[in-house]
Amino acid sequence: MWTHRELIKNLVVADFKLKYQNTSLGFFWSLLSPFLLTITLYFVFRNVFHGEQYYALSILVGILAWKFFNVGTMACLYSLVGKANLITKVNIPRKIIVLSAALSNLVTAVLEFIVLLPIIWWFTGHLPATIPLFIVVHFLLLLFIYGIGLIFGALFVYFRDLSSIWEVMLQILIFSSPIFYPLSVISERIKPYYMLNPLTRFIIIYKDIMINGKLPSVSDFLIVIGFVAAALLVGNYFFNRLQRRFAEVM
Amino acid sequence: MDTVIVSNVSKKFKIPHEKKTTLLQNIVGIVKRQFAYEEFWALREVGFSVKNGESLGIIGRNGSGKSTLLKILAGVLYPDSGSITVNGKIACFLELGVGFQYELTAKENVYIYGSILGMSNKEVSRKYNEIFDFAELKKFESMKLKNFSSGMYVRLAFATAVHANPNIMLIDEVFAVGDEPFQKKCAEKMLEFRKQGKTIVFVSHALNAVQSLCPRCLLLNNGRVASMGDTEKVINDYHAMLSDGAHA
Repeated sequence: MWTHRELIKNLVVADFKLKYQNTSLGFFWSLLSPFLLTITLYFVFRNVFHGEQYYALSILVGILAWKFFNVGTMACLYSLVGKANLITKVNIPRKIIVLSAALSNLVTAVLEFIVLLPIIWWFTGHLPATIPLFIVVHFLLLLFIYGIGLIFGALFVYFRDLSSIWEVMLQILIFSSPIFYPLSVISERIKPYYMLNPLTRFIIIYKDIMINGKLPSVSDFLIVIGFVAAALLVGNYFFNRLQRRFAEVM
Repeated sequence: MDTVIVSNVSKKFKIPHEKKTTLLQNIVGIVKRQFAYEEFWALREVGFSVKNGESLGIIGRNGSGKSTLLKILAGVLYPDSGSITVNGKIACFLELGVGFQYELTAKENVYIYGSILGMSNKEVSRKYNEIFDFAELKKFESMKLKNFSSGMYVRLAFATAVHANPNIMLIDEVFAVGDEPFQKKCAEKMLEFRKQGKTIVFVSHALNAVQSLCPRCLLLNNGRVASMGDTEKVINDYHAMLSDGAHA
């Protein structure tokens, strides 16, 4: 992979240019949907969760983290089929295609979180010292997306209805992650199952470091790293097995 | 020294009676037990080697396995049995302009295509003027590719490809495009590569092109090596095979 870093860079830059060059507002379009979603959720649920501190901000952080995962895994899923030529006509390591899709989405996600900074300052009056940690969490989430993306990207070559299935799963994830409600509304009985959702821990960590100025506990952090390692291992295993027949079924 | 060694390579394609492209179809297939497929051996026990600096031609009828063999050499397809050894930097031209983006400029595309062919950005920058002079497109470097004619497109792709400078080149009939002067330019470039001592594997239906470029040749028939050796002899075998086929 390292020897192909320039190819990866070129693919990411090209992807980014293609995505935004035909819209005059460019990158700011990508901010529109999370903001609208946040505003909607805020006005619908603010009376239910009126005790929540910085409720609107909390939704926004959650939505942006979810969007990073949502758009990233979708881009990875479509990446191989969308660049079929790079698979059937040339021999480059095929994981590069998935990685560059994940990376070009990372660029958007980092920009979105940078836009978030003045908003946090405006709501809370200060910026928590833990904020720079979001770079670390972003990196971990990127690896997680890449791992999941390897699995779905490879499977999508064989099963073209996977995109619809995954889209439904992503919708369910909005409601089964603590995005617009606090973790405390989850009953103790189902909490152990609820916490199996990797995105839950990511979102809790994001909210803690971005708004509350709280460091994640070591155990939470280790569990997240465990999730990431598992996604990468399973992703690589799947991909290596499935990629052998890519050029035949494309 | 042998640069490319192919030993005992076989490749089987499974062609299902009903192609299933979704999870749903597969589940239905399991329930109804519809998994019948035809086996098609595209290559059977193919073996040969190419020496460093040698040009090998591969000829044969449609469906004889030429392209499959080239794709296996390129590493795009994996053989079911047998092995392939390649010593050196390999570049395959199964198609020109792989990865070209219509919405980007010629300049941006040259960098992308260059890196796909294994060039560093620095290398592309160094050869940048050469590439555009060769393509005769210097005036259009900041034009978007979607506004290019197909001739310009091919020239740009070819110019980038020939500057990638690999040791081993795998060439499908891609260079049989463009108008006559351009084809002539391609042919000259190929001869130049040969003189520079590059290893070339060339698949073509144009027998005179094979004859002028490759001293040695391989004839495939139904996935097997039917004949190998001097190009002249192999082409004679090919003609004999074709006329046999016509009588049968």
